[in-house]
Amino acid sequence: MATDNMADDVGVGTGALAPGTGVIHDIGYQTYDGPRFGRATIALALCWHSLRSAFGVGRGAKAKIIPVLTFAIMCAPAVINAVVMALGRSHGRVVSYDAYVGPLRVLVLVVFIAAQAPELVSRDLRSRVLPLYFARPIRRRDYPLAKFAAFALALLAMIDIPVLLLYVGTIMQVHGGAAIWAQTRAAVPGLLVGLMWAVVLAPIGLALASVSGRRAFSTGSVAIFLFMTWTLTTVLTKIVQSTGPHGTGARLSSAAQVSAAEHLFGLISPFTVLDGVRQWLGGTSHGIVADPGGYGAAYGVALLAFLGVSLAALVRRYASVSVS
Amino acid sequence: MTADQASQARAPAGADAPVIAATALTKRFGASITALDALTMAVGPGITGLVGANGAGKSTLIKILLGLLQPTSGTAAVLGLDTVAHGEQIRGLTGYMPEHDCLPPDVTATEFVTHMGRMSGMPPTAAKERAAESLRHVGLYEERYRQIGTYSTGMKQRVKLAQALTGDPRLLLLDEPTNGLDPAGRTAMLDLISRIGGEFGISVVVSSHLLGEVEQICDHLVAIAAGRLLRSATMSSFTQVSQVLAVEVEEGADLLGAELAARGVSVVRAERELVVLIAGDETFDAVRDAVARLGLPLIRMEQRRHRVEELFRADASIAGAALARVGFDASAGGHTTAARTAAADGH
Repeated sequence: MATDNMADDVGVGTGALAPGTGVIHDIGYQTYDGPRFGRATIALALCWHSLRSAFGVGRGAKAKIIPVLTFAIMCAPAVINAVVMALGRSHGRVVSYDAYVGPLRVLVLVVFIAAQAPELVSRDLRSRVLPLYFARPIRRRDYPLAKFAAFALALLAMIDIPVLLLYVGTIMQVHGGAAIWAQTRAAVPGLLVGLMWAVVLAPIGLALASVSGRRAFSTGSVAIFLFMTWTLTTVLTKIVQSTGPHGTGARLSSAAQVSAAEHLFGLISPFTVLDGVRQWLGGTSHGIVADPGGYGAAYGVALLAFLGVSLAALVRRYASVSVS
Repeated sequence: MTADQASQARAPAGADAPVIAATALTKRFGASITALDALTMAVGPGITGLVGANGAGKSTLIKILLGLLQPTSGTAAVLGLDTVAHGEQIRGLTGYMPEHDCLPPDVTATEFVTHMGRMSGMPPTAAKERAAESLRHVGLYEERYRQIGTYSTGMKQRVKLAQALTGDPRLLLLDEPTNGLDPAGRTAMLDLISRIGGEFGISVVVSSHLLGEVEQICDHLVAIAAGRLLRSATMSSFTQVSQVLAVEVEEGADLLGAELAARGVSVVRAERELVVLIAGDETFDAVRDAVARLGLPLIRMEQRRHRVEELFRADASIAGAALARVGFDASAGGHTTAARTAAADGH
């Protein structure tokens, strides 16, 4: 019995060659007896692989240009803050944790998402590699969900690492436990805002990028949507402000003084919606949109709609990919 | 003890279970399209050819076997596992090579196959080792550090095979693996598949629309047309069917056909050429003698790889004769030969 099995195993393991007679460099086919992970671990591996590709890791030098550049620009305010404080030109932080130079963050993220979301999804569509994934243990929706998790983590790194730098740069210049504690308490909401941005912007970027396997179309659809909605909100808001009852054109910060139209225009862009929700949830820093005040709930609903629709669109996109 | 476990792993659901079994497998898309029609068959270990014209239902069958499509009715099992209930497990034990291009151009073969090994559930180190090994098995050595975009079609086909092989599957599903290859590339690919099925001990299903191609390497053949099973049998009974000789003469083809028929040779006119069923060496002699006697200008004599759709063509008497020779009769089901071939011809 045991001999039988042994013979069987040898036959399978080394092929037609009898043990000892094979050429030294041809060890024949080896079976694999190690662990085989299931869906969850495979999805995690796909997530990690995608996270790396979001920053061009494992690809050529060219693939790293935009991630590195945008990340550096995102960190600039934190670095400037640290320098200014170290030189003693300012006694307090010059950048807020929760709003963190809003317009700069928006522009940098539009570039990052437009350039890197296609890296995660449209490459696989273009090379038609998806059937190879779906012929493996993971299920259809595991693929888009792994990509979502990866891109959300990439955006979180893009947004929150600068906030952490800001925090570190600040506490190095303040003295006393109370001051550090105050900074910590201010920084945590800032980090949470970053998480909210990452989770909402990731599926929007991926859903738009997955419309096409052609990179140019992918990047175009992301850039056009994010940039156009942002521009539309900004321009319409400016128009309302300059022609509104106050007619001064000055930035208004009090919710009561802001017209209903301005609040509604703020719902067009995901960025202003995110900033509106931040203020609705208690954020006090001056942001990229007026405090929504009584419209807070509308901003909350809009946020969930952006998240829900884009996630559903992303998952649906992969339900229809053909295997052969 | 270890050997015991190893052989256990090779046969996860018992050694007796057929590699593939289908029972009254039917798949309809909407009300009008029937991709698979009451397909019943069983395939054992070894290399199996799945032949049928384009649109015969090969791809649908492969998708059902991978658990990616649910059958409308009937059941299918792979390695003893039901495709509906255990699709995930089946996909873990099966390597799939699609027909179309599926490789990213801007990564190296090593990186790509390693990643695909991870997607098969292997830990990072094992995935890397097995990627190198499976690329070596398919004949890619130093080239594997080059970007796939720089590869020839033949090399790309090898990478596609390597990614299917890297997870140490029990079963390989290869969809038209010789597509787009030149004759030398085809031979090399078929040799490779033959080695995998024999030496490596992995069961292989090779789909093709060219019977002549897969017949060289298969132990078993499944022929389908219009979603129906035409025949499922061992290779030997099929081989005779495909032995045909294409004869082309500049003029007098009808004359030659009559002469050959008079000499007792099965022959059919197919457009410009005569297709002669080879019964043995005497067939070649008969053709030579007939051409010489009539003094016809012979252009071409070619022993051909017969296309499946030609093989089962109802109006070709050669098909009927050939099918009769291999005992293709009502023994496998309730249909007559004529009805089956007519069904095949319908598509």
